[in-house]
Amino acid sequence: MALPKPQKVLTLSESSYLVEVLKGMVLTMGHLIKNIFDQDRFRTIEYPDVRKPMTARYRGAHRLLLRPDGGLKCVACMCCPTVCPAKCINIVAGEAENDPAEKFPITFDIDMLRCIYCGFCVEACPKDAIRMDTKIYEINAYTRSDMVHSKAYMVNLMDGLKPEAGAAYRAEQGLAPDGYTNADSAPEGSPR
Amino acid sequence: MPKVKINDVEIEVPAGTNMIEAAKLAGFDIPHYCYHPHLSIAGNCRMCMCEAETPRGPVLDIACNMQAREGLAIRTESDKVKAVRKSVMEFLLVNHPLDCPICDQSGECRLQDYYMDHGQYDSRGIEAKVGKHKRQDIGDLIVLDAERCVQCSRCVRFGDEVTGTGDLRLMNRGDHTEIGMFPGTRLEHDYQGNLADICPVGALTNKDFRFERRVWYLRETDSVCTGCSTSCNTKVCHQEGEVFRTLPRRNDDVNRSWMCDPGRQCNSGVGSLDRILRPTVDGVAVPDAFETLAARIKAAGAGRTGFVMGSGASLEANWALLQVVKANCPGAKVFSVAGNNAGAIAKSDGLLMDADKNPNSAGVALLAAWFGGIGGAEDLRAADLSLLVVLEDDIITRLGGNPAEAIAYFGTHNNPTAELASIVIPVAHVVEMDATYVNRQERVQRVRRATNPQGEAVPAYQALEKLGAALGRAPGTSMPTATFSAMARAVPRMNGLDYKALGASGRLLAPTVQPVAPAAPVAEAK
Repeated sequence: MALPKPQKVLTLSESSYLVEVLKGMVLTMGHLIKNIFDQDRFRTIEYPDVRKPMTARYRGAHRLLLRPDGGLKCVACMCCPTVCPAKCINIVAGEAENDPAEKFPITFDIDMLRCIYCGFCVEACPKDAIRMDTKIYEINAYTRSDMVHSKAYMVNLMDGLKPEAGAAYRAEQGLAPDGYTNADSAPEGSPR
Repeated sequence: MPKVKINDVEIEVPAGTNMIEAAKLAGFDIPHYCYHPHLSIAGNCRMCMCEAETPRGPVLDIACNMQAREGLAIRTESDKVKAVRKSVMEFLLVNHPLDCPICDQSGECRLQDYYMDHGQYDSRGIEAKVGKHKRQDIGDLIVLDAERCVQCSRCVRFGDEVTGTGDLRLMNRGDHTEIGMFPGTRLEHDYQGNLADICPVGALTNKDFRFERRVWYLRETDSVCTGCSTSCNTKVCHQEGEVFRTLPRRNDDVNRSWMCDPGRQCNSGVGSLDRILRPTVDGVAVPDAFETLAARIKAAGAGRTGFVMGSGASLEANWALLQVVKANCPGAKVFSVAGNNAGAIAKSDGLLMDADKNPNSAGVALLAAWFGGIGGAEDLRAADLSLLVVLEDDIITRLGGNPAEAIAYFGTHNNPTAELASIVIPVAHVVEMDATYVNRQERVQRVRRATNPQGEAVPAYQALEKLGAALGRAPGTSMPTATFSAMARAVPRMNGLDYKALGASGRLLAPTVQPVAPAAPVAEAK
C-alpha cells in the first residue's frame, strides 16, 4: 500500500505568501514590458481572433476521406474500433450493392467525449480513410449527443474547416456540394 | 500400432494415421489448407510439406499423404521445411487480392495466420495479379469470391463426397484456375453452410453472417443444436449477449464436422420479437405467475390436472416436471406427445437431418420409462382435464386441438399453444442455460450458457423449482449439476453418468437390455 506523502514544509518566505505573490507579479509585468518593447515577438495570442498555428503532427478532430470517385474510402474493416483504447468508435457495416468495395459503413460514429486523441485509429487504418489532421481543437457542444461526430460531419471536416466553411471551400474549389469531385462520376448507389 | 518419430518425439499411433494427425498427437502443428480430417486426401496445397528421413537421406514430402508405418521419422521444423513453407505461401499469395479489410474470413483466415507464422516475405510480384470473378451469388447461404481462393478443393471434395451433389469445380488451368459453379446452376443442398466453414480462406463466406461482426469480437460457447433429434455439436458465437452465428463443432460420433443449414438457424430466434419475455396470467403481465398457477392446480385437483413433458425441453426440465408431479400432485396424469411444433419442416435425409425435430425425444422416452404410466397423444385427447401444464412443446399443433379447459404453458417463443394458454411462463432458450439433452443415438450431451436469459426468463428447471415451492414441495432442481446427479442416481440407465464427465462429446446411455450374465457352469454331479 502506498503511504501518503508527507506534506512539504513551507519555508518562511513561502508561508508568508507575500514573496510568492510578488514573484508572480514580476513574471506578469515582465511579459507586459517585453510585449511593449519587442512587439515583433508578441507573447500572448488574442484568441479566438488569432490562433496559434498547430504543428503538422497535431492530432485534432477526426475526418473521413473520400476516394477520387467520391465514395467513402472507409470499408468498415473494424480495425479502428478494435484498436481504439477508449472504445469510442461505433461502426455498423453494410453491403454496398453497386460498389466494388462491397462493404461500407452505414454508420460511423466517434464519441468525442470518450476519445483520448491517441491517433491509433489513423495508424490502424489500412485504407487511409481516417485522419486527425484537421487541427481542430475546439470540440464542444451543448449536448452529449452532439459530441458524437457522425459520418456526414466527419466527411465535411475538410482541410481543417468547420462544416459550413467546408461547403464554402467546396464551392470555391468547384467541387459538388456533397464532396464528390464530379457529380456525374459518383457511381449509382455509391456509399456515402 | 506403429511407432513414428516426429521431431525426435516418439509416439505410437494407429496404422494408417496420416502425419498431420500424428503430429497433432505429438504436440506439433503442421500447417495445411487442403487436408481435412473428414474429406479425402487431395495433397494439392503443398503447405504440409515435411522432411521424411529415408535411406537416401531427408526427402521432402507432404505430411497429409504420409501414412504412419513402423520407423517413419519426420521433421516439421527444419530449416529446409521452413524455407519450403515460405515459398508455398508466396505462391499461394501471388494472385491473392488482399481483400482482408472487407473479407469476413479475416481473423480466422489460414492465409493470414500462416503468413504471420511461416511467410513474412517481401513481395517480389511485379506483374499484375490475375483477376477472377468476385462476389458471386452461388447459393442461398453462400457468397463465392474466386479471387481469394487458394484452389485447395476442399469444397469440391465436400460436394463430391459428403452431399454427393458435385456442384463446385475447379476450372481452367495454371494461374487462371478458378473455383466456380456450372453455368446456370446454384447450390441446392441443405449443407451449404459447411462450405464456408471448411474454406480455409475467404473464398466461400456465409451470407447470414456477411459483414455482421468481425470474428475476433465473438466468444464461442460449446452447445448442441436443438433443431432436430440428431443434436449436432455446435459452437455458439456471441458478443455481448447477442448470438451471431452457430458453427458445427467436431464430434466424430455425432456430426463429424458438419451441420445442416436449418440447424444454423436454431439459435437465430434468441432475441426475436416472438420471445415470451414476461409471465402472463389471462393475458395480463404479472410479476409472479407461480402462486396463481399453484392455486389453479390445487383448485383443479390432482385428478383433473395433466402435465405434458417437453421433448423440446432439457432433461433437467423434464426431470423437474416429474419431481413436481411426484411430490405435489401424485394423482395427476403425465403425458408426452410426439410430433413437431408449428412451423417445423420435418425433412429427413441420410446425413444429419432427422424428421423428429425435437432435441430431447430420447430423453423424454428415458424419463417416461423410468416414471411409468405416461400417456400418449390419444390418452391426452381422451382425458377429461380442467388444467394442463405444458412444458415447451406446442401441443395444440401436435394434437390438432385443445384437449383441456385451460392450459399453463412454460415456453420460450409464442406459438399456438402459448396463444391459447391462460398462464404463460417464460423459460430460457437453449443458449441461455446449462442443461443436457439426449439425442437419437441416446447420447447425453451438454449445452452451456452463452448469454443471459432474455426478459424475465429462467431455465425451465428453475421455473419448475419455483412452481414446486409454490405448491408446497420444491423438487430441488435449481442447479443443473445437482439435478443431473439426482437423475443419474435415480434413473438406472443413467447410473454412472457424471455431469462434468460428459465433456465435449457427450456420453451414451447404458443399453436398455442389460447383457445377461453367462450362466454359471453347473457343477457336474459326481
